[in-house]
Amino acid sequence: MLPSALDILVSLLLLVGGGFALVGSIGLARLPDFMMRLHGPTKATTLGVGAIVVAAMVHTSATSGRLSLQELAISLFLFITAPVVAHLLSKAALAQKARDGDG
Amino acid sequence: MTLFLPLLVLLPFLGLPLLLVVDRLGRRAVAVAAGATMLAGLGLLAALAPPVLAGDALVLWRPWLPDWGLDLSFRLDGLGLLFTLLIYGIGALIVLYAFYYMPADDRLTRFLMTLLAFAGGMLGVVLAENLLLMLLFWEVTSLTSFLLIAYKSKYHDSRIAARMALAVTGGGGLALLAGILLLGHIAGSFELSVILDRGDLIRQHRLYAPMLVLVLLGAFTKSAQVPFHFWLPNAMAAPTPVSAYLHSATMVKAGVFLLGRLYPALAGTELWFLLVTGTGAVTLLLGAYLALLKHDFKGLLAYSTISHLGLITLLFGLDTPTSAVAAVFHIINHAVFKASLFMVAGVIDIQCGTRDMRRINGLMKYMPVTATLGIVAAGAMAGVPFLNGFLSKEMFFAETVAYPSFGGYGTFVLPAIATVAGILSVGYSARFVHDVFFNGEPVDLPKTPAPPPRFMRLPMEVLVAIVVIVGVAPQLSVGWLLETASAAVLAGKAPPIKLAVWHGFNLPLVMSIVALGGGIFYYWRRDRVFTLHERYALDFSSPVAFERAYNGATAWARAALARLDARTLAQYAGLFLGLAILVGALAWLTSPAESSGAPLAGPLPLTPVDPVSAGAFLVLVLGVAGATWFVAERLLAILFMSVAGLVVSLAFIRFAAPDLALTQLSVELATIMLMLLALRFLPQTGPAERGRKARVATGSVAVGAGLGAAALAFAMLTRPFETISGYHIENAKPLAGGTNVVNVILVDFRGFDTLGEIAVLAMAALGTHAALRGARLRAFVRDAASAADRYPIMLRMLMQPMLPLALAVAVYIFLRGHNLPGGGFIAGLIAAIAYVLQYMAGGIAFASARIRLDFVLLLGVGLLVAALTGVASMVLGFPFLKSAWTYVKAAPLDDIGLASSLVFDTGIFLVVVASVLLVLTELGRLHVVEPALRPAGRAGPEPSPARAPAEAEG
Repeated sequence: MLPSALDILVSLLLLVGGGFALVGSIGLARLPDFMMRLHGPTKATTLGVGAIVVAAMVHTSATSGRLSLQELAISLFLFITAPVVAHLLSKAALAQKARDGDG
Repeated sequence: MTLFLPLLVLLPFLGLPLLLVVDRLGRRAVAVAAGATMLAGLGLLAALAPPVLAGDALVLWRPWLPDWGLDLSFRLDGLGLLFTLLIYGIGALIVLYAFYYMPADDRLTRFLMTLLAFAGGMLGVVLAENLLLMLLFWEVTSLTSFLLIAYKSKYHDSRIAARMALAVTGGGGLALLAGILLLGHIAGSFELSVILDRGDLIRQHRLYAPMLVLVLLGAFTKSAQVPFHFWLPNAMAAPTPVSAYLHSATMVKAGVFLLGRLYPALAGTELWFLLVTGTGAVTLLLGAYLALLKHDFKGLLAYSTISHLGLITLLFGLDTPTSAVAAVFHIINHAVFKASLFMVAGVIDIQCGTRDMRRINGLMKYMPVTATLGIVAAGAMAGVPFLNGFLSKEMFFAETVAYPSFGGYGTFVLPAIATVAGILSVGYSARFVHDVFFNGEPVDLPKTPAPPPRFMRLPMEVLVAIVVIVGVAPQLSVGWLLETASAAVLAGKAPPIKLAVWHGFNLPLVMSIVALGGGIFYYWRRDRVFTLHERYALDFSSPVAFERAYNGATAWARAALARLDARTLAQYAGLFLGLAILVGALAWLTSPAESSGAPLAGPLPLTPVDPVSAGAFLVLVLGVAGATWFVAERLLAILFMSVAGLVVSLAFIRFAAPDLALTQLSVELATIMLMLLALRFLPQTGPAERGRKARVATGSVAVGAGLGAAALAFAMLTRPFETISGYHIENAKPLAGGTNVVNVILVDFRGFDTLGEIAVLAMAALGTHAALRGARLRAFVRDAASAADRYPIMLRMLMQPMLPLALAVAVYIFLRGHNLPGGGFIAGLIAAIAYVLQYMAGGIAFASARIRLDFVLLLGVGLLVAALTGVASMVLGFPFLKSAWTYVKAAPLDDIGLASSLVFDTGIFLVVVASVLLVLTELGRLHVVEPALRPAGRAGPEPSPARAPAEAEG
């Protein structure tokens, strides 16, 4: 059976999501200092998970024949929490740096 | 009429709130209320008395805990009538007396409330038909006696004396409990009517001897018989009304009352005679001997009381019908004259400021009326003719003469003991009269004695009038009372009683004359006795000796406990888990091998493993292993723990338990927050690991416990096993109107359980609140910039709109709980977490200013709502917590199931929210970050220096 356009779209989205997650993870592991490493997971959570969620939406909508939107809630929550977490982490890092510098 | 019987016991307890209410009206009103309670009791007794005086016993029986043989049953017979009369009658006089005796700045509420509670306990003892019920009241008298002796609690003496009395009488109460349990076992019932009928059966039983010893231990400790007498003289540290009421007229009579009460069932054996008569005789002599030697006149009276109690005990031991009559008669007489003597002593104590008879002399001149009253009462104590004490003492002498022999040691022993005791008691009575009222002038008194207030004398006058009336016209005045009381003691076989002052010239009269003459001679030559006593006697009843023994026992117990219990969590867990492993392993190894071959696996087939579950469980194992490995790195350990918690909630979803998954998830969140909060106060890394040996030991216990639990789960799950869940699933809809079985079980099927659980939750939260309230760790000062930046605006802005959203989710989860996953518990956790997030994002001060909830109040409201739901169904005639339900159509929504259990669930919801928030906010508040410049006024007490958290260094 030949893949339909839908299948291709879903696969593409999955690949994009997976790719970003992979890049983010590598970045988290390999970048030289904390502030740089902080960039990795933010990409993975927003674009990476976002693409996967859209893939899931498309797939379920197509197979169930009904518009499926609740997956959006996942990315909505991630969009809200990710920047806050990154913000808090960087603040903590700054505070620690200041302390180490002083002490 | 019988229906009012419990009221006779309850009346003093009903008076307690009354006293609290009139407290604001001043001490006079309090005393009037207490006195009125006593008089009301007398009135009620008068109403109930006629059938009892006719020879019937009123018995009221209501089942309470029938399985245990404990019933609410009361009995009013002659003996109970006599004691009730003493308790209420003397009680009323004591209240009047106490009003004048107690210092004017004492509000009397606490004192009279305890006194009333004591009266209630004592009435319970004498009116209980069920022996277990009697024991309950027996302990009430011990406790209230403790509180009353320690009433002047700022004095060391009072506290020690109270502890001593409690230790002795409480210990006796334990022995009595054991004895009564044995007695109930022997007789087959705890009801007195049954026990009193089965005397022969009881006396022939092989457990008779240990039972008797135990019961007598209870009686002898309470009635201060040698060698347990020492608490009574020390108990004189109590205010004098207490000494007069508890420690001479009523409570110490509880022991001899018990002898009288169980007389038909227990008396009549050689053992009874030896133990009771022997103890009584020794107590009689020793008490009378020591009384003379006391310089403190309350001490003299206390030893005299011991001696008279010994006399009554001795009479009960003789177990001839007439001796029992004499015992009952002496109970009445002693209560009357000793109470009045104590009252006189109290007046003297107040007026002179001391109780030392070497300094108090010649009071006849200062307070002639009181002195006369005292002299008459002391005459009764000595056994002077035409006073009531003479009559019962005469009967006592007659009994000793008439008794065949003293265990085969000849006929003269008992009369000799009686005569010596008579001489001694005349001696100490003479000392009391001569030293206090005559014997020259007072020596160096702190104040000049003056007559007491007019109405303070009234109680003494009443009592002394009774002393004289009974002494002159005994048959006319107390014949009726004595007759019914003795009939009850002797189970209806009382001899005809003819009280008379003059019996003709006979041996008892000679003994009386010898006692009077000898006593006066003895008192005249007392210096010799004092010298000899001081040289040779050992003082084994002093508080010092008791304290030494007491402290020794406490230290020993503490050392033993310290050996068993090192107070570390590791040890507790190790002990419990080790024992569980041991028991499980033993059961498994000793069980007969099953036919199926593999002993663990049952007949059910195994579920095939799918890769996702396997992977999840691998993560679970990794999480737990990580937490173990990094246990010293606390933050890391907590992170690993949360991994484990998440996988467990996923597992619940996998196995179709969404309720559990939701609960687990919310509990996990709350727990992590709690641990992080706690972590702020601990160093970031744990203490160094203990030695290799300890690690191997704890490790093996942990592995053993894990393997054991796994094996158990495996064995259980591979066997067909009929659980109650089938019933629950089938009946959730038809019986409770809900399709969410979990929630239905929580709020309906096992609602009572849930009520208990939320009560425990509330208690735990309140306990934390109580322990931490006001506790503050050292505040640390931050510079202004970092203080302002502590709660990032981004987080705060984000969290504020989250609150209504999360609360809406909570309401949704709550409402659908009866039919879909959800319910009060989960909703409560969600709401609590929503609130906690506000605290975390904005800080305690920020959030407290906005979340104006009184969590403690909320806790109470929740519990009340839950409990009232249950009560409501009871009011409507259904069992406790029975629920009703209906479905309501509301246009835009689905059918809403309205069940009364929803109200119950509201209670659960409130309790959960309040508990979680109470605990978390208390913990969060522990560590207040003060702004850089602290206003001086708000500083309060300097917080105790505690280990500064690691993040404190700014």
